[in-house]
Formats: sequence, structure tokens, C-alpha cells
Amino acid sequence: MSDDEPIDAFHLPGLEEADVERWEIREYGPAPVRLRFPVLHARALTRIADRIADAGGAIRSMGSGDIVAFIDSAARRLADVDDPLRRTAEAALPAITGYSAPMIRLVLDRVTRDWTAPALLELLDREIPQGALERFVPERGTANRMLAVGPRLTLHIGSGNVPGVTVTSIVRSLLVRSPALVKTAAAEPLLAVLFARALESVSPDLGDALAVVHWPGGQSTVEDEAIAAADTIIVYGGAGTVQSVRRRAHAHTRVIEHGPRASVGLVGRDALATNREARAVATRVAWAVAVFDQQGCVSPHVVWVETSVAGADTFAALLGEALDAVEAELPRGSLDAAEAAAIHDVRARAEFRAMDGGAVRLFEGHGAAWTVIRDQDPAFEPSCLNRTVRLKPIDRLEDVAELIAPLRGFIQTVAVEGAGDRLDRLVHALAAAGATRITDFRRMPWPPPAWHHDGAGPLRELVSWIDLETE
Amino acid sequence: MSELHDLPDTLGAGLDAAFTRPIEHPLPDAEFNALALAAFAWQCKHNRHYMAFCERRGRTPATVTHWSDIPAVPTAAFREVELACASSGEADAVFRTSGTTADARRGTHVVPDIGFYHRSLIPNFAAMVVPEGRPMTMYSLVPPPRDLPDSSLSHMIATAMQRFGTRDSRWYASVAGGIDHDALVRALADACADGMVVCLLGTSFSFVHWTDAMRERGEHHRLPDGSRLMDTGGFKGRSREVGRDELRATYLELLGIPPTHCVNEYGMTELCSQFYDASLRDAVIRRRRGPDRKVVPPWVRTDVVDPTTLEPVPAGCEGLLRHTDLANIGSVIAVQTEDVGIAVDGGFRVLGRATGARPRGCSIAMDDLLEAVKRRTS
Repeated sequence: MSDDEPIDAFHLPGLEEADVERWEIREYGPAPVRLRFPVLHARALTRIADRIADAGGAIRSMGSGDIVAFIDSAARRLADVDDPLRRTAEAALPAITGYSAPMIRLVLDRVTRDWTAPALLELLDREIPQGALERFVPERGTANRMLAVGPRLTLHIGSGNVPGVTVTSIVRSLLVRSPALVKTAAAEPLLAVLFARALESVSPDLGDALAVVHWPGGQSTVEDEAIAAADTIIVYGGAGTVQSVRRRAHAHTRVIEHGPRASVGLVGRDALATNREARAVATRVAWAVAVFDQQGCVSPHVVWVETSVAGADTFAALLGEALDAVEAELPRGSLDAAEAAAIHDVRARAEFRAMDGGAVRLFEGHGAAWTVIRDQDPAFEPSCLNRTVRLKPIDRLEDVAELIAPLRGFIQTVAVEGAGDRLDRLVHALAAAGATRITDFRRMPWPPPAWHHDGAGPLRELVSWIDLETE
Repeated sequence: MSELHDLPDTLGAGLDAAFTRPIEHPLPDAEFNALALAAFAWQCKHNRHYMAFCERRGRTPATVTHWSDIPAVPTAAFREVELACASSGEADAVFRTSGTTADARRGTHVVPDIGFYHRSLIPNFAAMVVPEGRPMTMYSLVPPPRDLPDSSLSHMIATAMQRFGTRDSRWYASVAGGIDHDALVRALADACADGMVVCLLGTSFSFVHWTDAMRERGEHHRLPDGSRLMDTGGFKGRSREVGRDELRATYLELLGIPPTHCVNEYGMTELCSQFYDASLRDAVIRRRRGPDRKVVPPWVRTDVVDPTTLEPVPAGCEGLLRHTDLANIGSVIAVQTEDVGIAVDGGFRVLGRATGARPRGCSIAMDDLLEAVKRRTS
């Protein structure tokens, strides 16, 4: 971005000069991309929160179809490569997040699809009985009626650098007609703002029900005010963040947490029956590892392969080739010193361990592009990420459930391929071990919009039910 | 004392000559190169792990013609194998990194011939910590080697104390009791009363701990002029983080030691050589203030490399420090660290450690997960 003007990284309806204590400009990347943030007075945050909560009245008078249509139009702006908002996203997000430009384009294409009408209608249909957000509807099996009501004000606390996570969270609360106060993540504070602008351009009413801003996390009075103002809080982040929010929230405030999770993969012997099949699976595994540079909660840390050590080496070589091919199409992003050092550290240790007995074998891409470590120790081991994956040969896929059971609460997605007719039994064992999503490698990075995110219905967990008892 | 098996006489003599050079006179590149290549060839012959590492990179004594191409071993490798030209059973010393990281395996540095370690340590310490050349009373805040037999720092302090310390020099810490506050305070009070110059030695963390306690008790000293301290290492992630400036202010306030006489040492278990702040030598010998820097002794070269490619960075850029240390003759001379630094005129500056990645993604951080797994399985 050569423009001298920084990009405003906030969307604050009715912001007044007196609300802003001072302005902050942050620079990202070598070019650099510059973002402008307001540092708000705590009292200003309270006023803005009240204002958007009041704007909820306008949303609640809209039909669900209208809300869906407006979100869809906003999503299409961000999906349209000729739209100025999309162009801003493409230009700025690589420097902000560290992801490569092709990765940003891919992620924008995929996530915006989740905000279009067909996806939203499916989500509504799956989660909330038809019409229940607009009027009392009959409750099945009784004479009673019920109405679904979204929170008066939902506070979203974003985290991490994966673009779109916060917007998906916003979309969910808008679908249940709840105004959204959004604290963006320091590592990706822009896309939610661009979405808010797109939404405002198609529906000023919806734009008025949305405030997006960043403040430093922790004990700030601004955050205290935000926590006090909301009746539902959706918090993304580490255990410390979640605990801190829980501690400060009123007893009656609903806190929904999406803490960090890790995912794993299983490749059964049926998927390795022919070289061709093995190569195809390796390609799917490579994509699952590469998307978000493995930093997603859906990204696999470890892949267990139901084969011999030699078989695992063969598969590791195929996976390496596939990761090379992915790198050409979807280059890994920039690494900071700590991330690069972590990769070199893991490689060095594997390399020297391989010399004494060969319990591990190292496969590595050029530079720090990717790393595959074949490791005979079957235990789960967290990855240092950025396309560093451990392949573990295992006698029986069924044994994996026991290996992930100690990680209950941390393991989210398990991709399984090649289990053949054992799949049914296997998925029950994985579910019992704590996995909340079981899929294949192709779908692994892209959970559907209506997924039970970390085990709960994304709209159902937001709404309250009003019962109307009749004769 | 063991000797390095079939080490060429010319190499041994060349190293000893390098150790006796004036500290500010680096070996000319041709001389350094000749010694480094000879050391490299000898190490590849006696260290099969290292040879395998070099072969994988296609850079062996048969192909390398300049020391900067000698493959540098990441410090992490010292946690996996004994990277030495002799087995630990035959070695004079085996030093281990402290076992505080989540991973149980500690880095191990086997030092087959401690003589090279001592012959490089002494002139460097002399030049940077006691440049006046007079013996000095030394008080250590680190436990002695009998408490910490595998600590290279404890060994280093013992060696310095033996060589440069007066008979009053003492250890004021033990593994069992920690720092002996009362005895140390009495000793410092005596030193003040007698006008006796002292040199305090310890880790930065031990100094923070100790000065916190002094502040709590309302104690402070004004040590006689010429007193000094050497603190080593960082203390990030420990119970309390303190910046360098704050620490220097504390040293002046509570001990009366001015910033010029607070010498920070940067060293690591995996390296025989140390790097000291230039401040004391600048003040006492050169009598002018130089840039803030760590001094590279003549027998070492320190490069700054790109963290991803591990290739040298352009001058003035930050990167990871890589040391080629001829005193490491018994193990591996080329060591790749995870310390972030920058080259400056006459040395380098350490900016921190490349750990603790920026917040990224929504995947759980490795340390958190390891911690959780450990909690549940223990």
C-alpha cells in the first residue's frame, strides 16, 4: 500500500471527537501497511454500546429474510475482487497477518461463501425452528408456543490472525437479531471493520447495530465497560483470556468460549492400497496442513498412518512432494524469528535423533517451507506449526482414540480416511475420546457454516426461549 | 587431565596463540580460517554425528574452504546427542543446561579437554571483568561446583575466582539454602568499612531476587569505588521481568556500583567462550565510552543470520546469532543459537531470545498443550 493515508481500523456509529483520548497508528510489514485506531475513553465505549443496543430495535423489526439478504450483499462485496473493500482486504491482510497473498485470497473466497444467503439459510434452518425468531411458533408435541430471542447486546472478543473468524461470529449474532460490539484481535483487526462497512453500505440499520474497535486486552477499563454492557459474550482466545473475561462478567452474563484447540488426522490402510490412492490422500493431507499455515484450530498437528515404518516413510515422501506442490500454489507466509527458530529446532532434534537408531526420520522442504517427521513414538505431540507435521505409523487405527483421550477438551477435528468398514466403530471411539468434529482431510480446514463449533449449535447457544403457554 | 586424541600440534599451538592475543585484536581472517578449517576437519573425523550432519548438507572438510561455510549445529541438537570428539566417560567435564523447559531432555555439552576451556576463559575474563590486572575479592551468588557439578557457569566462576580472587573470596549461595542474605550483607558491610573493592558474580535472576530482598529489608550499600559486578543471562519468563536499565539503576542505588562497572555476560552451556559487555574495559582501560556491545574475543567469530534461511543478514539487520568458537575444539566450533542480536561496531548486541511466538491462529500453543498433557498424565 503506497497510500499515505492510514486505513481506519474501526467502525463506530456516532463516534464523536470527545470520545477519543488519542489516535494510534500501527504499521505492519515492510511496505508498510498502516492502520489507525482510536483509543477510546471508557465512558465513550459505554455510550456507543448503549447506542448499538438501542439500534437492535430496528433489526428486530426486520424479517429474517431481509437480514440474510443484507449480510449476503455485504459478503458478496468482500467476495468481489473488483470491489474496493475486497481490494483493501487483499492489499492489507498479508502484511497484517503474515499470510501470503494467495492464502489471503483463498481464505477470503472461502469464508465469504459462508456468509452468503444459501449458507445462512441452511444455518438458520438447522438451528432455529422456522420463523421462531420473528414470532411465537408452535412447540412440537405441545399446545404451547415459543419465541427465540437473541441477546440484547453481544460482545465478541476476537483472537488470532485467521481472517474471518470474528466476522463469522458477528454474522451469527446478527442472524439472531443481536447487535454486536466487537473487539478485534490485535493480530487481525481489519476484516471485521471492512465487513461492517460493507454491511452499512447495504443496510444503514444493520451498520448502526454494529461497533467494531480494538483495544489492548486485559484489565483495561474500556474492556470492563464492554463486559458490563453485554448480556452475552463470545470470547476467542487462550485459557487466560477466557478466565479473565469470566471473572469480570456479571453472574447472569452468558459467556461462550472458543478457546484454542488442536486437530489430528488418521490415514487407514485402505487409503494406502495403491500408490495412486496414497498420493491422492497425501495431497489432501498436505492441503489440510497448509491452509492457515497450520495455525487453525482445524489444522492437523499429528497424522497417524496405519502402516509399517517403511510404509510411513513412503507416505512421508509423498506428503513432502504434495507439500512442495501446495507451496507453489499457496506459499507459506512470513515467519518471525521465534517461529523460524522453532522449526529449525524441531528439525535439528529430529535429524540427530535419526542418527541414533532411526526412531524418527526427517523430511524437509527447501528453506523452512515444510517439515515432515516420521516418528515411531505413537504419542500425540504438538507441532510448532507453520507446516510442520508428525507422521506416526500405527498398527491399528483404533489405538488412536486412546492416544488422544488425555487431550480431551483440546482436540477438536479428527480427519479420518481409509478406515473402510471400521469407520462406524472408530468414530464412536473418537467421540468418546473427546473429538467434536470428525471429517475427511479435504473438508478438514473448512467446517461448514452450520457446524457445531466446539460442540455447540452456533445459533442455538445464543438465543433464549420465551414460552407462551396456551390452553 | 585428558588430551584431545591426535589433535595436530600446529592446531593446538595455534589455538593457544589465539587465546593470548590482546582481546581487541581479532585473528586476521586468513589465520582464523586456517585454524577453523583444521578444527573442522579434526572434529568431523572424531564426531560421527557431526560428520553425518555435515554430509547431509554437502559441506564437509573436503568441500569447505572458508570458515563461514562450516555447518553450524543448532543448540537444540545438544539436547539429543553428545556432540563431542570424545565420549562423556572420557571427558574432563560434562555441562548441562538447566532443566526448566517443558521438554525434559537437557542440553549436554561434553568438554573432553578442560584445558582449552580454561585457557580461553582466563584471558577473556581478565580483559573484560578485571582489566586492572589486580586480584579482587569475589563473592558469588551462584552455588559452587560441588553443589552444581554440571553447571558451566558455576565452573566458570570457580575458575575465575581461583585465578583472580583474593583469599577472602566466597560463595554466598547453595542449592539447599539459596542466597545466604545475612552472611552476604555482613560481608558487604565489612567491605564498605574496610574500603575493600569487591566483585559480585551471579545470574541476572539471582541479582533481581537478591536486590528485591534488600529493598524489602531497607538495606543498601555504597561499595568502595572500583567495585563491580558481573551478571549473566536474561530472566524473561521468570517470576519477575526486569529491564536492563532498571537493573542498572538498582545496582547503583542499592550497591553503589555505577553502570560502567556492571558487566553483563552472555554465554551458553554449549559454548566454551563467553562474551562480556565492553563497558568496564572502556571505562578503565580505554578511558572513553564506547557503544553498548558485547566483545567478541579474538578466537571467535559471531555472525548474524536470517532466522528462516540461516544465511547472513545485511549489515545492521537483526537476526539469530551464530558463533564460530575455536575454544569449542572438543565438541563443535560452529553453533547456531536462538538468540536474536545485531552486529555493532566492535561486537554485537543481544536483543533477546527467539521464543514465544506472536499470537497467531486459533491453534493451541505448544507450551500450553504440553503443560495440559503433563498435568493430566502426572
